[in-house]
Amino acid sequence: MTELFARRQATAERELDPQLAVLSGEAAGQRIRHPAAQQGMPPIPLWQKVPSQPGEEAQKDYYRLPLLKEPVWIWSVPAYFYLGGVAGGSALLATLAHGKRGLKKLAALCRGLAFAGTTVGPALLTYDLGKMGRFLNMLRVFRPSSPMSVGSWSLAGSGALATLALVQGDHPAAKPTTRALAGGGLVVSGYTGVLLGNSANPLWQGTRLTLPLLFTASAIASTSALLELFTLNRREERVVRRFGTIGKIAEAGSMALFELEAAQNPEAARALDRGKAGVLWKGAKGFLAAGIALSLLPGDSVGKRRAAGTLTTIGALCLRFGLLEAGKEAVRDPQAVITPQLKGLAR
Amino acid sequence: MEPHGFFTDTSVCIGCKACEVACKQWNQLPADGAYFSGRSYDNTLHLESTTWRHVAFLEHSRQLSGQTTARPFSWLFLSDVCKHCNRAGCLEACPTGALVRTEFASVYLQPDVCNGCGYCVVACPFGVINRREDDGRAWKCTLCYDRQKVGLEPACAKTCPTDSIFFGPVEELKVRAQARLLELHRKGVHEARLYGMTELDQPGTEGLNAFFLLLDRPEAYNLPPEPRVPTKEAGRAWGMMGLAALGMVAAAIAAVRAGGEE
Repeated sequence: MTELFARRQATAERELDPQLAVLSGEAAGQRIRHPAAQQGMPPIPLWQKVPSQPGEEAQKDYYRLPLLKEPVWIWSVPAYFYLGGVAGGSALLATLAHGKRGLKKLAALCRGLAFAGTTVGPALLTYDLGKMGRFLNMLRVFRPSSPMSVGSWSLAGSGALATLALVQGDHPAAKPTTRALAGGGLVVSGYTGVLLGNSANPLWQGTRLTLPLLFTASAIASTSALLELFTLNRREERVVRRFGTIGKIAEAGSMALFELEAAQNPEAARALDRGKAGVLWKGAKGFLAAGIALSLLPGDSVGKRRAAGTLTTIGALCLRFGLLEAGKEAVRDPQAVITPQLKGLAR
Repeated sequence: MEPHGFFTDTSVCIGCKACEVACKQWNQLPADGAYFSGRSYDNTLHLESTTWRHVAFLEHSRQLSGQTTARPFSWLFLSDVCKHCNRAGCLEACPTGALVRTEFASVYLQPDVCNGCGYCVVACPFGVINRREDDGRAWKCTLCYDRQKVGLEPACAKTCPTDSIFFGPVEELKVRAQARLLELHRKGVHEARLYGMTELDQPGTEGLNAFFLLLDRPEAYNLPPEPRVPTKEAGRAWGMMGLAALGMVAAAIAAVRAGGEE
């Protein structure tokens, strides 16, 4: 009796007779998802209009339903984007500061940050996976057509090199290790831009040329902003400040370029002004501007430096989270996908 | 094996949804639950990880050309499915190698390999594939790979009562589709058009292994008018990343110089 009941349970919602069918397939046991019902897609006010006869005007798409799927990534992915950027920037600084007498502490700090970024980063990415236990499958094949595959391999390589560099410290023999680490770091801080651009998402695909610039520029700004929070000697402070000035200007410039490129597809660009994405994107701009303004002010106190570093860091985080949210927002409007394709912009 | 696929002829589809049901039964996918969307008879709305065939319903307040109705009206149906593109965005994006091209030229997801990274979800220009809610793997139409393996046609094509879904070798399907298009045009149905049959029709995907005959513009059925596999533009993006990396090296060298020599 209980066995029969259990079989009844297993076939619930399937319109299958348990006597006839055994649900042993891999698809069995799924929950259903109704994106329309979940996202508060309006239950159409039937007493006002017949939705199925929306007139000629509305037939530019299919009942305004999204054409593409929303990205499924959670918070840990943009958090990784930030950490990966910091790891890449630090790896590069660690190499160039390696063996320079006045920059010993900076080099050690950068090695530490590169190590932290390339070890915590993969953990964050694993946390986003649908099947965390299979994270090693990322290194099962190498697919050059997939930026995520390229990124996984360079992240794994950089992680190994960063660990080695941490162990070797500032020993002169560590020079080849740090050089290789810098190469890996450059890929780690920039590939994420290519990864987002290499998608069907109308906003990301439309900005595929400026996204790598944006991620790399922000990697410079984030690295220096984080380094500004630590106590360093005068010489090292000058290095960090110069790196940060270039990074922040480059980030502001890339954000402007990004908005220009996005504006070619106005339906998708609207995602940058709406909802959560709009708040985050404005936050990214505001905090970056505040960080730049504060570092331009006269005076050279520790507090000022730390405040500027904190503001720039918050801005860089807002940027990463904002880009993901904007990607989600952009696909909610089917016209963002359809219009540019009709105009021939997508090619 | 020669490439096999679907030719979905929407001009004979009657919107019975038998394909949806047959697909769910064969693949043991859960039913979509009792949800009333209010959008004609379409309560499924999307292709999903749990829905591999989806029938779209279009109500137009005009006739098809050559049709006679009491008042201006036409009701169009389309059974949508994974297109098994010749250049598949999902396959080219998959970092684990879970998505592969089978000997029948279909795009198949190996469930024992997929780790649910979610990259295929944003890479598909048709919005077909999605991640399962329960165990996090991506999940989509297999073109009934298991049935094809033993010489059976896919469940949806098998059940289709009007042969709107026609399964067979892609080259034969193309001949059939062209003949059907000519026939419809001869009968005066000028709206009829083929969608994604060859590389010429759809250079962005280099042709679909599951293509369609439509009676309206593709976007009215929620099909992208000019889809492009994202990878086609990746070269310049990598180039920009290279440029940016050079800039980053220059910035770091300038910064270390700013530290000054002792």
